[in-house]
Amino acid sequence: MSLTSNSAINGVNLEILWSRLISIADEAATALRRTAFSTIVRESNDFGVTILDENAAAVAENTIGVPAFLGVLPRAVKSLLQEIPIDEWEEGDCIVTNDPWMGAGHLPDLVMASPIFLQGQLVGFSATVAHLPDIGGVIFSADCRDFFEEGTRILPTKFMAAGNENPEVARFIRGNVRLPDMVLRDIYAQVTAHRVVAQGVQKFLGKSGFSKLSSISQALHQRAEMAMRAAIAKMPDGEYRSVVTADGYDDKQTEIHCCVRIEGSNLTVDYTGTSPQIDRGLNSVFNYTYAYTVYPLKCVLDPVTPHNDGSYRSVTVNAPLGSILNPHFPAPCNARQLTGQLLAGAIYKCLAQIVPDRIVAESGTAPTLRAVFNGADDSGKRFSQMLMCSGGMGASAHRDGHACTPFPTNTGSGSIEAFEGLAPLLVRRKELVCGSGGEGKHRGGLGQEVEIEVIGSAPVNMSLMADRIVNPAEGLQGGGTGQPVRVSLASGRTLHPKARTTLLPGDRLTLRYGDGGGFGNPAERSEGNIRSDIKNGYATTNRMQPRDRSDEKR
Amino acid sequence: MKNNDFRIGIDVGGTFTDLVLVDGRTNRASFGKELTSHDDPSRSMLQGLQRLLDANGIAWTDVGNIVHATTLVTNAIIERKGAKVGLITTRGFRDVLEIGNETRYELYDLFFEKPAPLVSRQLRQEVSERIGVNGDVITPLDEDDVAAATEVLREYGVEAVAVCLMHGYRNPSHEKRIAAQLRDLLPGVPVTLSSDIAPVIREYERANTASGNAYVQPVVEQYLTELETGLSHRGFDGAVHLMLSAGGLTTLGTAKKQPIHLIESGPAAGAIAAGYFSRLTDTPNLISFDMGGTTAKMCLLRDGEPERSSEFEAARVQRFKKGSGLPLKVPVIDLIEIGAGGGSIARVDGMGLLKVGPESASSTPGPVCYNRGGTEPTVTDSDLVLGYLSPDYFLGGELKLDLAAVHQAIGDRLAAPLGMDVSSAAAGVHRIVNETMASATRMYLTERGEDPSRYTLLAFGGAGPVHAYGLAKSLGIAKIVVPPGAGVMSALGLLTAAPACDVARSYISDLSAVDWNIVNRLFADMEGEASALLVAAGVSKEEIVLTRSADMRFIGQGFEIPTVLPEGKLGPDLLADIEARFIHDYAVRFGRRVDGVGVEALTWRLTASIPRREAQLAFATSGQGGDARKGQRRAYFEGKGFIDCAVFERSKLAAGATIAGPAIIEERESTIVAGPNTFISVDGHFNVVIEIRETE
Repeated sequence: MSLTSNSAINGVNLEILWSRLISIADEAATALRRTAFSTIVRESNDFGVTILDENAAAVAENTIGVPAFLGVLPRAVKSLLQEIPIDEWEEGDCIVTNDPWMGAGHLPDLVMASPIFLQGQLVGFSATVAHLPDIGGVIFSADCRDFFEEGTRILPTKFMAAGNENPEVARFIRGNVRLPDMVLRDIYAQVTAHRVVAQGVQKFLGKSGFSKLSSISQALHQRAEMAMRAAIAKMPDGEYRSVVTADGYDDKQTEIHCCVRIEGSNLTVDYTGTSPQIDRGLNSVFNYTYAYTVYPLKCVLDPVTPHNDGSYRSVTVNAPLGSILNPHFPAPCNARQLTGQLLAGAIYKCLAQIVPDRIVAESGTAPTLRAVFNGADDSGKRFSQMLMCSGGMGASAHRDGHACTPFPTNTGSGSIEAFEGLAPLLVRRKELVCGSGGEGKHRGGLGQEVEIEVIGSAPVNMSLMADRIVNPAEGLQGGGTGQPVRVSLASGRTLHPKARTTLLPGDRLTLRYGDGGGFGNPAERSEGNIRSDIKNGYATTNRMQPRDRSDEKR
Repeated sequence: MKNNDFRIGIDVGGTFTDLVLVDGRTNRASFGKELTSHDDPSRSMLQGLQRLLDANGIAWTDVGNIVHATTLVTNAIIERKGAKVGLITTRGFRDVLEIGNETRYELYDLFFEKPAPLVSRQLRQEVSERIGVNGDVITPLDEDDVAAATEVLREYGVEAVAVCLMHGYRNPSHEKRIAAQLRDLLPGVPVTLSSDIAPVIREYERANTASGNAYVQPVVEQYLTELETGLSHRGFDGAVHLMLSAGGLTTLGTAKKQPIHLIESGPAAGAIAAGYFSRLTDTPNLISFDMGGTTAKMCLLRDGEPERSSEFEAARVQRFKKGSGLPLKVPVIDLIEIGAGGGSIARVDGMGLLKVGPESASSTPGPVCYNRGGTEPTVTDSDLVLGYLSPDYFLGGELKLDLAAVHQAIGDRLAAPLGMDVSSAAAGVHRIVNETMASATRMYLTERGEDPSRYTLLAFGGAGPVHAYGLAKSLGIAKIVVPPGAGVMSALGLLTAAPACDVARSYISDLSAVDWNIVNRLFADMEGEASALLVAAGVSKEEIVLTRSADMRFIGQGFEIPTVLPEGKLGPDLLADIEARFIHDYAVRFGRRVDGVGVEALTWRLTASIPRREAQLAFATSGQGGDARKGQRRAYFEGKGFIDCAVFERSKLAAGATIAGPAIIEERESTIVAGPNTFISVDGHFNVVIEIRETE
């Protein structure tokens, strides 16, 4: 059945073409996830798949992605094309780079792009990005002063050339990472996804009768652009400003200055005034800044339409060069999430001034609190595990914030039983923190406390990446601030929130994931909600007080 | 003289209770349908039974076996009408049930809802104890804590208790001791142990499964007891069996203990029926396609066997959104449900794109053509405009369809904003709903390493045979089978199923380092458990066939593939064989193998069943003779526009009849549509077979 038989593109065949392309991206994403070895890809979904037309404009992305990669792949493919001219791209090539400025903002994220040919003619590109389990250098951490400490940089090169592995590149990567087998197998999971996209696109073009992807991409881009513009145009013109303060590094707090400017159907987010880049890995490279700027906007403006290159034509992002939101090469940037994930809060603080019912207050997990554990168990087997728990989500005009829910990222925690099988660590408790959550007509989501004990006989290396200790999640429209993040050891030894340290056998680490901010005047909280808080022990007005219960009766 | 030859299958669904009666001497099947009485489903069921028996002149005592599928469990969880349950957990972990997997199933909706836990927080009680990942006791169980927790639960008046301790799947001793204490302290209150109901790793899913079982147990117990009494009062003295989610049958006694295994009872029966037709028509590789008013369900059958899965998501907050429900670790037939049915509503969105579903007009107000207040055009309305449905023969003519109202609605709401004429808009709705089902099916098959074009489509449900032709073309499928009795498929499946039982144990180990004594012991234990259950269901021990499998993966991957194990005592000599089986299954799915990585096994599974004793059923509604050709009308086909189509009455088609498409074949509950370039035949069992000659 030829889809072009209706001659012109219309509202029926475009819907069909669009959903077919998205399902190709989704099939590739499934193949990537199921063949990957690292938990970060297969459990936390830290990867993305994009199909681009032959001009490197995105036409479809996988549905359940991670916001960090929004809009990143088309920018990355364009950068790759500048480095490697198009006539050098052959069928079966997989060109890779992990350069943060070309790719997704830090070295562990590997971008891969392939050309798609049909009868010898270039018809489009496939592109993927995935977080590798290791990239050499120090372990995933926030405290490097120098970009080159953070790992190995791979400038654009062919991992696969005309369908065959480039043995020198594979050998080079193997020689520079801690888990060479796992890293290479994850890269091959990306290669598998590229094969799925290429086959899918070739079949799609054959069936639809189009000669290349650009034949329909214009129509797809137009529709996505229209939807976004229509939503922006409905909002009042003007400039709306906010400032968000982060803990920064040591005594150097950082500030994000945000101005959302709406003019007709155009929207600009301007970060002028934001703190200059710093000499620790908190700098958010522009591509990452861009992704975490457009994601929260998309949630508010047009949560429904699938993404493509047209989605953000109406949006301009300005981040001053040399700031923590657009650092110069070679700024350290490994823990760029500690800065970039704060942008949703900054933008919503601006939008609260005009569309308060369409946003959420700041979340306890914006940015995420991460602890990376690494070492060897008693049998000598090496491990490297990251605990991916979340604090509370911010409240909104519609409801209380969800407890223990990630935002703006979307990485799941997985099972504690499974976690304990992978590292000599015992989780003593993992429970909601009661009496927390920013107050408000709607309460911020509750955070949680997780207590972890080192049960092996060897010390464990740990890297902490924590913020919101000094500056907890703020409420909106009169809502209160959530309780802050805390990191502590039972031994009383103090921990640096953004540094690497060694845990000793028997050490007990407590991670307190922060709460979401509240929304609206607390005096307006409904009787029913108050009663339910007390009944369930979410509020402290009853006899249940937070206490360290794992210690009793031991 | 009483005989026991009659068997009855009863599928109690949300709208209808379907019944099938089979005479064991002639294998003749007759059908019954009753509106389900929601306040007490056993009333409509007994009424339907009585009516069916009367119609066939049969006494209750002539019935030897009643097989039943029910939506009771799934509805109790969706509607939150289960019991007040207490949960006892390891100290520090009572919030596992509430915290869940910590993900957002909907990336762009800031205001999404999460499913509430089945046990509210004050009823989740902690006790001091801790078992380590290897089953070692790190903190001994504090029985005073158990007593205190029980006292709190007693004060709250709980009706059932679930117990789920950390790593309880690995070492159930603490859970068992708690159960013993509960029996003393809370006599008469049913207890579910996670180590019994779902002895597998992952605390959230296991706690959900144990809580879910406890939650529905009192409701199911009461229902089944009343049913038993009702049947015996009427003189029935045969056996009652229930359909399990994995497609096997079980006894009332087991169903009362493990009611959570009934959660997909009805859909499983449909898949089992598809298996019957797969064997009957000698079509081993089949996609069963059941399209009703609100949803379409797809199930993959390889070698006549439906795919199975060991997990299921219950009571989704957003019905078709993965991740929005409660994940359970229960064996189920693996099928997908898509928000596409006859009632699915078509709309033009803000961008001028035509969208269909998942919102449905359901039965009230229903499609526009029902003339019952529906204003938004649906898939059924489009099918009417396209000539696939007859305005005068819907439900055998019981419901007259209003074509003029449909033209108006599609014209105003779809055709005008799309800038098309009414028939093009209707054709668009038909194509888009087919495309929605096709992409979901492609994804479902891709995940299992299969290519849809190598499969046959088995279409049933009210809308299935109408859409099978378009769906098959989109999937590149060349053959469609439409079985008779398509309106009561699940009830039919009940009568072709056999007693079966699935059990599982977790034991995680690198395959090369497996202690085979442990594995053999686990299997011996499972065999004992499964055989006892089947013997209780009236099976003789010699008949039982055991299939052993293990969920395996490459060390470091997160996705397990169930791999069938060789027969006999397992040991290191079979290691290479077992590993080769896994690698073969992996390569089939992903088109490549991984070298130099170890393989690990996580869960060991045993399926105990008995060989099928299915007979070839004869349907009272088939082959009635007379002239099958009842007229002709114009129907729309892609690339051709409206063309003349011969219309036939299915019940009058003789075995061996052949028809050249395009053609429309009508029966009471559905309509078969076959486009141009198709060849249609009726086989010896009155299945309508459509071969698509070219795919253009």
